[in-house]
Amino acid sequence: MKIALSTLAGAALALGLIAGPAKAEDQGIIVYNAQHESLAKEWAAGFTKETGIKVTLRNGGDSDFSNQIVAEGAASPADVFLTENSPAMALVEAAGLFAPVDADTLAQAPQEYQPSTGKWVGVAARSTVFAYNKVKLKEDQLPKSLLDLADPSWKGRWAASPSGPDFQAIVSALLELKGEAATADWLKAMKENFTAYKGNSTVMKAVNAGEIDGGVIYHYYYFGDQAKTGENSRNVALHYFKNQDPGAFVSISGGGVLASSKHPKEAQAFLKWVTGKGGQDVLKTGTSYEYAIGKDAQSNPKLVPLTDLQAPKVDPARLNSKKVIELMTQAGLL
Amino acid sequence: MLPREFAFRGSVLFGDRLVDDSRLRFDPPECHIAPLPPAGGGDPAACLMQSAIDMMPAMLPAAGMKKRRSASWITLAAALISLVALLPLAFIVWVAIQTGWDTVVALIFRPRVGELLVNTVLLVVVTVPIAIVLSVALAWLTERSDLPGNRWWSWLSVAPLAIPAFVHSYAWISFVPGLHGLWAGVLVSVIAYFPFLYLPIAAALRRLDPALEDAAAALGLGPWRVFARVVLPQLRLAICGGSLLVGLHLLAEYGLYVFIRFDTFTTAIVDQFQSTFNGPAANMLAAVLVVCCLFLLALEVMIRGEERYARVGSGAARKQQRARLGRATLFCLLLPAGVALLSLGVPFVTVGRWLLAGGTEVWRWDEIGLALGQTLFLAIAGAVLATLAAMPMAWISIRAPGPLQRLLESCNYIVGALPGVVIALALVTITVRVALPLYQTLFTILFGYALMFLPRALISLRASIAQAPVELERAASSLGRPPVKALWSTTIRLSAPGAAAGMAMVALGITNELTATQMLAPNGTRTLAMAFWSYSGEIDYASAAPYALIMVAMSLPMTWWLYIQSKRMAGR
Amino acid sequence: MSFLELSGVAKSYGPVTALAGVDLAVESGSRTAIVGPSGCGKTTLLRLIAGFEAPDRGRIALDGKVLANGGAAVPAHRRGIGVVAQDGALFPHLTIADNIGFGIPRNADKRAEHIVELAYIVGLDKAILKRRPHELSGGQQQRVALARAMAMKPRLMLLDEPFSALDTGLRASMRKAVAELLEEAGITTILVTHDQAEALSFASQVAVMREGLFSQVGTPRELYFQPRDRMVAEFLGDAIIVPARIADGFAVSRLGRIAVDTKGRRDVARIMLRPEQILLKRTSREGMSGTPDMLFGEVTDCEFAGSVCTVAVRLLNSPDPPDAAAIGNTPLILRRTGMDAPEIGEIVRLTVTGKAHVFA
Repeated sequence: MKIALSTLAGAALALGLIAGPAKAEDQGIIVYNAQHESLAKEWAAGFTKETGIKVTLRNGGDSDFSNQIVAEGAASPADVFLTENSPAMALVEAAGLFAPVDADTLAQAPQEYQPSTGKWVGVAARSTVFAYNKVKLKEDQLPKSLLDLADPSWKGRWAASPSGPDFQAIVSALLELKGEAATADWLKAMKENFTAYKGNSTVMKAVNAGEIDGGVIYHYYYFGDQAKTGENSRNVALHYFKNQDPGAFVSISGGGVLASSKHPKEAQAFLKWVTGKGGQDVLKTGTSYEYAIGKDAQSNPKLVPLTDLQAPKVDPARLNSKKVIELMTQAGLL
Repeated sequence: MLPREFAFRGSVLFGDRLVDDSRLRFDPPECHIAPLPPAGGGDPAACLMQSAIDMMPAMLPAAGMKKRRSASWITLAAALISLVALLPLAFIVWVAIQTGWDTVVALIFRPRVGELLVNTVLLVVVTVPIAIVLSVALAWLTERSDLPGNRWWSWLSVAPLAIPAFVHSYAWISFVPGLHGLWAGVLVSVIAYFPFLYLPIAAALRRLDPALEDAAAALGLGPWRVFARVVLPQLRLAICGGSLLVGLHLLAEYGLYVFIRFDTFTTAIVDQFQSTFNGPAANMLAAVLVVCCLFLLALEVMIRGEERYARVGSGAARKQQRARLGRATLFCLLLPAGVALLSLGVPFVTVGRWLLAGGTEVWRWDEIGLALGQTLFLAIAGAVLATLAAMPMAWISIRAPGPLQRLLESCNYIVGALPGVVIALALVTITVRVALPLYQTLFTILFGYALMFLPRALISLRASIAQAPVELERAASSLGRPPVKALWSTTIRLSAPGAAAGMAMVALGITNELTATQMLAPNGTRTLAMAFWSYSGEIDYASAAPYALIMVAMSLPMTWWLYIQSKRMAGR
Repeated sequence: MSFLELSGVAKSYGPVTALAGVDLAVESGSRTAIVGPSGCGKTTLLRLIAGFEAPDRGRIALDGKVLANGGAAVPAHRRGIGVVAQDGALFPHLTIADNIGFGIPRNADKRAEHIVELAYIVGLDKAILKRRPHELSGGQQQRVALARAMAMKPRLMLLDEPFSALDTGLRASMRKAVAELLEEAGITTILVTHDQAEALSFASQVAVMREGLFSQVGTPRELYFQPRDRMVAEFLGDAIIVPARIADGFAVSRLGRIAVDTKGRRDVARIMLRPEQILLKRTSREGMSGTPDMLFGEVTDCEFAGSVCTVAVRLLNSPDPPDAAAIGNTPLILRRTGMDAPEIGEIVRLTVTGKAHVFA
């Protein structure tokens, strides 16, 4: 019995040495990654290969990480923060926790894909789409605007993932473009009309299965699935709202270096690599199907070109995630 | 002494949380045979061990003798640990005060909370009775009828416990993609959790004295009325304990309901957490959830009442007769076969199908190996910590029982009954606000595990310390061993197997834990459950399948042990 | 025709034969005890009568109505037979009042009064009606079980070792009280026990059972003094069994010439005496010189146990041992009052009273 106990304790110790997750060994730079894990892994691997600097990813979501960084304040263990959407970056920036991004990194991205403050930089972009079931909806039955989905005729026919940061970013664009009252009304109507799923993939899967007519998601879920087996997107088509509609919102995935970083040089280097050729090529050739935003970078040729999307102009620094959560909580979506 | 009731009261679980109810009442003074131990929880294994304690001859000697000096510092340690265990609860109260009354009211009394409350209440109110009926029927068929292969069916009725609840849900959603809403929630919940009822009910049925049923028949009652008036009432304790356990799991479960799109308080808290980190909205939802848990605990205590359904008398119970099913056999076989198909067939077929579809590509051994290593490390370290933390409490509850000890022990059980999401949220907020150096550290997650699974360790330890009567320790002393050596050579050695069993139960709970792990894990951590969750979240069901398989494979031996244990305990 | 009739009742559990074909007749209003070592099948027999199990073969009839015939059996709840189990089998989840009233329909007239009355009849205080079974002593539990069974006014009452869990003193008084109670109520009773003294004192008819069969059925006296064989004799009490030559209503053995209870003439047979039939009288070696057919012995051991003492006596003169070699000189084990305990080495004269029983 004593033997059993000491064996257990010994095993625990041994495993701790081998696999201990929180050992103080060199973890390189710590990246709070809210981007898709697979994309961030590719970036980290490419960067480490080129520079030899180790990267440790902590995976999570935009909102929890941004709030977490704010809560952590100066003691945050993170060096770099990567998001899927801009509102989370805006939140951290507003708390004054970002160090300025190196000028040569900023120079790699066009003006419209970075905030005027230069505290963070766009690393990729994604477009809002209305993914619909080709069998259930004809093209002339599609909504002209995101706002149309508030109409009672859409009751029970569309889906979204309201707890995800992607949809919350879309709402933040709506808030920025149409104001608080209109947004609150729309959210109220949404609560009546829509069906909630957890995760955009799940929304698309439901659309594909015909459980629901359509859903508001980002474009790349479709391309990603098509590139694999197409199992979850066989019956799905994408509808781009265009016309500067709030539903044509292009969300900027951001990257920033934290002021509290203990490895500022390496962190800046990482950001530079991600926005540079190496990182942007991953977007073009990889399986993420997000848009590359680097000045000379090409997106994957399968995508509708970024310039054809007629996205509304929104200053990413003005996206107010706090207000969005508040409005969505009020509307009973959260 | 009279055999004590087989107390299957509330504690925990197995799937991913352990919860223990506390004995919230004190024993009536006339109950002087042995201090009733704070009800062992519903943790099936724990309960079994609890019943072992209950069977032990009176544990009173310690009370009579002069308290040793060691008792006082052990009591101090136990009090300290219990106070620390109350941190999450205290924290929720503190947040409520800080948030301000108006905001609290605005955050709690809103339609969304009403919706969640309705969902959660409906879920519990529909699922628990169905699970009770199903478990009683299965238990009767496997224990009291001549159903062919009843031992085999009995094991198959316990085996679903080896499958984490969210894996059940994953299997069902792959099987019937459109599955969602209340009824889907009820279906998968019943399938995932009915063994928590089946185990105690089957054990209680096995222990029933058949003479009572004979007596009732001789008094003119037909078989159905005998069942209703004699058998069923005696299953009340088992049903209460099992129901509490199922209810607490329903409140705490996250992954299961995400897959089938059914919102409960726990899913809503996680949503809020993901949207706002540790905002007041999440904490207020947690407060309502805590109230729900406490309500369930209190309800169970009320319904269970003071009654004891012990076998009265001293003669050995006669062997039970099994009812002849006769021509109904084939029809009756449909029930266990159907349940096994739904609860085991669906998960195994689905996981198998995804593994086939994924081929060798999904076996990313470097990733899986790392996740397995980290999971084992967390599980074992958490188990050791929980067991160490439980030691002082377990020691005083056997050797120096009293009102203070019962109060302290209740604290531990109440905390154990809280959903992991509540404990994790509290720990995140506490560390971020007042103990930042501890934030996101291994210490914090292990601490969280210890709080959540302490009751499991406690009950096992109590049972095993009870097996080592203080007389042995004294005998060792009288043979010339100094106190520490005497303790080591008697009590510690004798209680080691129980402690190891408790550690294994804790380790299993940690292995299948998802919600708290996600919220508390240090940077770079990726457990099996987290990896499974992340792949299935991206609809990459094939890549998630190996993780599901490994978790099930790790849980099966423990489930088997639990099953054997329940047979042995009840077979006395 | 008897009230309860069993004929050829047999029951096996797998390869184990519990009852091998039993016949029994019980008269209305009588008390019958079935006694035998544990595992002899007596409890099985009781369970078959109660209807908890069906016999494999044979017929059970109560008051002319067939209860079981082969595998077809009236279920227990339609038989109206009361059962009191070994430990009472009280329902732990019910109060004493609810236990007693268990078989009385809930809407029956004056149910509560009836329960109080039953409690009174079995000698229970009204105050305990609200308690739970585990709060009662063993004797009280048995009384509750009896009251519960009597509440249905059964025609037949089966008692399954109901006194075995009680203390010795309590056992005797309970037994007497129960016997009187059932007698007054006119209820036919069958008692199953492994305690021969209990069987003999309780019943008007005793059946000794062994390995699934009745060895002998009869009145207590018949069984005690005229057992059919050695097993019955020894099961019901200590017995002194010696070989003898029988002639003209007397047996001649090493115990001398003793009147026997059979007229039949047989040459050699075994006879049985109960130890209490042999009286001891103190004498001395000198006193041994009497008539030749007087029997003397020497006390070789004496175990004092309060009211009685057990005395071992080695015969000193044996008038006519038919096969002395086979018997050797085994001491006789006798009993006498403790007050009168002899010393080891004392010489005693033995006299036999009553008749010896000749085994068939």
